Amino acid sequence: MTETAADEQAVAGVAPALRLRGVGRRFGGLHAVRSVDLEVAPGERRAILGPNGAGKTTLFNVIAGDLSASSGSVELFGQDVTHMPSRHRARLGLARTYQQSRLLLGLSVEDSIYLSILGVAGGHLRPVILKRRDRAIRQRAREAARRVAIEHKLAELVGSLSHGEHRQVAVAMALASEPKILMLDEPASGLSRGERLLVTELLLGLDRAITLILIEHDMDVALRVAERVTMMHDGNVIVEGTPDEIRANELVHELYLGRQHYADE
Amino acid sequence: MVLVVALLGPFLFSDFFTHTLLTQVFWYGIAAASLIFLFGYGGMVSLAQVSLYGIAGFVVGNAVTTGAAKGQHFGLDPWLGVVLAIVITTLIGLVLGALASRSFGIYFLMLTLTFAVLTNYFFGQVTVFGGFSGVSGIQLHTPGVIGNPNIHPNRLYYVALGTSVAVYLLIRYVVRTPFGVALQGIRDDPVRMSSLGYNVTLHRTLAFAFGAFISSLAGILFVWWNDHVDPASMDLSAVIDLLVIAVIGGLSRLEGAWLGAFVFVILNNYLRSVPGLGHVGISPERFHTAIGIVFLVIVLVSPSGLMGIWERLRNRVAGAGGSIGSAPPGEGPREPDSQPAAG
Amino acid sequence: MKNVRKRHRLWLSAGGLALGAVVAAVFAATAVGRPSATPLKIAIMSDCQGAFAANYEQDIGGAITAFAQYAGVKPKNPNKPSAGWTGGSIGGHPLKLVGIGCSNDRADTAIKETKRLMEQLGADIMVGPLSGDESVAIANYAKAHPSKTFVNGTAGAWDTTAVVKAPNFFRFNGDGIQWNAGIGDLAVRKLHWKKAAIIMDDYSFGYASGAGMVADFCAAGGTITKRVFPPLNTTDYSSFVRQLPPPSQVDGYFSAVGGSGTPPMLKAFEQAYGKLKASQWIGNLFFFSSGADKVIGPELDGAYVGGFGSSPDLKGKNVTKYKKILDKWYKKYPPLAGKASDHAADGFTYNYYNNAWALVKALKVVKGNISDGGKKLQAALGKTSLPDAAYGAIRLDKNRQAIQPQYSYRMDVKTPGALAIKTVQYIPPVDQTFGGAIHSPPGRTYPPCAHKKLPWTGKEKPVVNGVIK
Repeated sequence: MTETAADEQAVAGVAPALRLRGVGRRFGGLHAVRSVDLEVAPGERRAILGPNGAGKTTLFNVIAGDLSASSGSVELFGQDVTHMPSRHRARLGLARTYQQSRLLLGLSVEDSIYLSILGVAGGHLRPVILKRRDRAIRQRAREAARRVAIEHKLAELVGSLSHGEHRQVAVAMALASEPKILMLDEPASGLSRGERLLVTELLLGLDRAITLILIEHDMDVALRVAERVTMMHDGNVIVEGTPDEIRANELVHELYLGRQHYADE
Repeated sequence: MVLVVALLGPFLFSDFFTHTLLTQVFWYGIAAASLIFLFGYGGMVSLAQVSLYGIAGFVVGNAVTTGAAKGQHFGLDPWLGVVLAIVITTLIGLVLGALASRSFGIYFLMLTLTFAVLTNYFFGQVTVFGGFSGVSGIQLHTPGVIGNPNIHPNRLYYVALGTSVAVYLLIRYVVRTPFGVALQGIRDDPVRMSSLGYNVTLHRTLAFAFGAFISSLAGILFVWWNDHVDPASMDLSAVIDLLVIAVIGGLSRLEGAWLGAFVFVILNNYLRSVPGLGHVGISPERFHTAIGIVFLVIVLVSPSGLMGIWERLRNRVAGAGGSIGSAPPGEGPREPDSQPAAG
Repeated sequence: MKNVRKRHRLWLSAGGLALGAVVAAVFAATAVGRPSATPLKIAIMSDCQGAFAANYEQDIGGAITAFAQYAGVKPKNPNKPSAGWTGGSIGGHPLKLVGIGCSNDRADTAIKETKRLMEQLGADIMVGPLSGDESVAIANYAKAHPSKTFVNGTAGAWDTTAVVKAPNFFRFNGDGIQWNAGIGDLAVRKLHWKKAAIIMDDYSFGYASGAGMVADFCAAGGTITKRVFPPLNTTDYSSFVRQLPPPSQVDGYFSAVGGSGTPPMLKAFEQAYGKLKASQWIGNLFFFSSGADKVIGPELDGAYVGGFGSSPDLKGKNVTKYKKILDKWYKKYPPLAGKASDHAADGFTYNYYNNAWALVKALKVVKGNISDGGKKLQAALGKTSLPDAAYGAIRLDKNRQAIQPQYSYRMDVKTPGALAIKTVQYIPPVDQTFGGAIHSPPGRTYPPCAHKKLPWTGKEKPVVNGVIK
């Protein structure tokens, strides 16, 4: 099924936004990710689900380049990036957030988002302030802050913000760089119901040109946003399909949904 | 106001206080500022800053002296000596930075410490540059506008003061540029910055070279002030002295560099003439112990040094209007106690 | 608003700094305030840290003894020279000891201490420093401060007077080169050395010591076949002694290695080439000072050693008098054991004493008047000599450097309780050019080995049981 879609894309001359072939990652004797094949089409919304320890975050790290793959290959827009450092992948348009949101706690919200834009825009080593250029970047940073409704805290140190606000900053940073692929690692975890709604709205309103890959525990958010869902377990992909197919899948229920619902109660 | 007092220094204070102590405060402050820059904005605890200013001092000494002076006594133009000192020191900083910038935390510290020990031995044992005895008589070969600091001490005083102000402003500026903001990002989370598209290693290397550049300025002023440089100018106790200065002043704020230098120099000079200290075991040869105690007290009372104490006092006076923990962008690095373990 | 607050903050911190500055300035002002009388402000500079820390009290003791004997000052504590003195005056000008410098044999520290003594404490005259590198830096300082007057402590660097030539720095003791006069001749005459190698510390004092040995040996007809330079403070000498030719290729070895380096150097030699022989080794003063004699062991008993400008077992009227004077003012020089006169011939006591004594003499000539910025005092010092100095008359050359007789010794480590050395010969007065053999700062390869007789070659007098024959 996936192969067919990929073939179609290849025929149409459009490379998938992301293609993984047999990707594995070992930590000593532990196979965090065993052998994952995955293709995500440009503009697609994809959720990756799975119980804790399924290897979702490790897979993210391998895709982003924070970890190297022990086996297999990673392609972005048809380009093999398996051995490319993370900073170059970022320049190809890959942005991500982290589960334990890795933020720049000593910087202000504005500076954090500014750095996110600058990271892709280049000129990192420029030791002078260019008024017009820097103002333009800061303008974009403030714009991104507005989109996640954090613009009232622009001057605050990130370290002094609440957990929910950290999520907002993380998403703003990811969005601000205008990525082609956006990978969000549990964007809604630890948020209140209201905040979760906000995040869902935000994700639904994303530019269709952005390919979105999402790790999410919250099924409401994940299944509302995603067009396709990949289910992982024990380092392997076990099921892939539309949200409806996933909801209906016995295995998923047994492995994940049941437990999740149980935990929620 | 501190600037006004400093500008009037030669008219307000005794010659000794102005030319021997305050000039020393200025160059020490510059050296400490390079350390605070690297730590506060780059998250790098560098013990190499003393060695770097020592190298600059040796370059000047070898380049400008003449005749039977020790070392190479090339007898070059004093300005050329200045340029060489800056260029060579910065290049060495670049190389060391390239080697060390992949390491973080304690490993980075150990690498710079190793460098400090190596340079100390290098200059002690490689006699072509002056060796153990170092180079003397540098004050006879300063640029014309400065003249012999023994005859025109005010000129060196103002040059040191001006350089301090310039270094202060320069660092304040640089940390607001893309380079500087990104450096602070790297301080907070290098892995994250890498995934944002930054070349963390290159960035840290260049920051380290910039620190070396600042140190080289301190080194040049140092040899003009001291007339002499030898391996003892950059031995481990000198390394610790500079670290003490930076910590006393407060690693979290740039002004702390000069405040720490001021306190250190004053204590160093006057502590042992305080009557009665001899009776509690602090005889002249133990005044380092006394400085150690002062250091300890300050660090225990306020991990962010005297600047930290000062800020807290001011915030208390300012009441609710104070701005604890919400520095505006580019205002300065955070207090080190909230530093996450890098790497 | 952000900027306003920042500026506000800046000003506030500025205020704090300024306050500190004012407090400290008041402090400084009181420290340099001058009383109404015109006392002679004197400072003594020695090392209370570093390799010579143990000689600190001894140095000060030597200097103060001269002031006590000839200018009427009273030591505050006969068991602790660094306690200072009270009283004393010259020409009605009270003598005030404003401070004692505490350096660590490093030039860098010596300069800081000198600035403190001369500028903060306002001394007019300084006696010191102790070691060679310090003295080069202080002579440079002296040159830049012509109104201050400096007499050396016991520093023995050649450059201090021969290169820097500060008109206000005087040295009434020999330097490291002068001290080794006669030792090379001894090697040729007594030990019949023709070829020798030398191992010397790779810094100024090593060069100076070695220069005296090389120049003297070559003048007497010997040849130096190899010079080896271990860096100062080397601990493992094995690679350096292997650079020395084996005993089959030379008649002997000169050593100008520092006190802490001598035992490990000799041990390394033993491992490389077998047992040490006293007839194959000649050392400089570090063979017996700094306790090295206790570690070297009996193998080197009887080896010849270069001098220190004095002779511990010499007898004579001036020596007896000098020892009596030392014991009159101080009971001991802690932490050294024994009474003051037990250390009479140590360069530390002897040279500090002589330098201070010459200073007092010159001050008496100008009746304590230094109101002309010390010009007359400096002129008087240049003409001062010490004809009655315990171990031979001392006068100055045109560079204000001592010309004095020298001595050579022999190790005596076997006799229990005896001194570690016995004086074996007396060398008539030696000047700083070493009889014309030395014109440039001594270095790794300077002076070259020149077979030109020195003024004293062959004119040394044997010393037997402390009597010059």
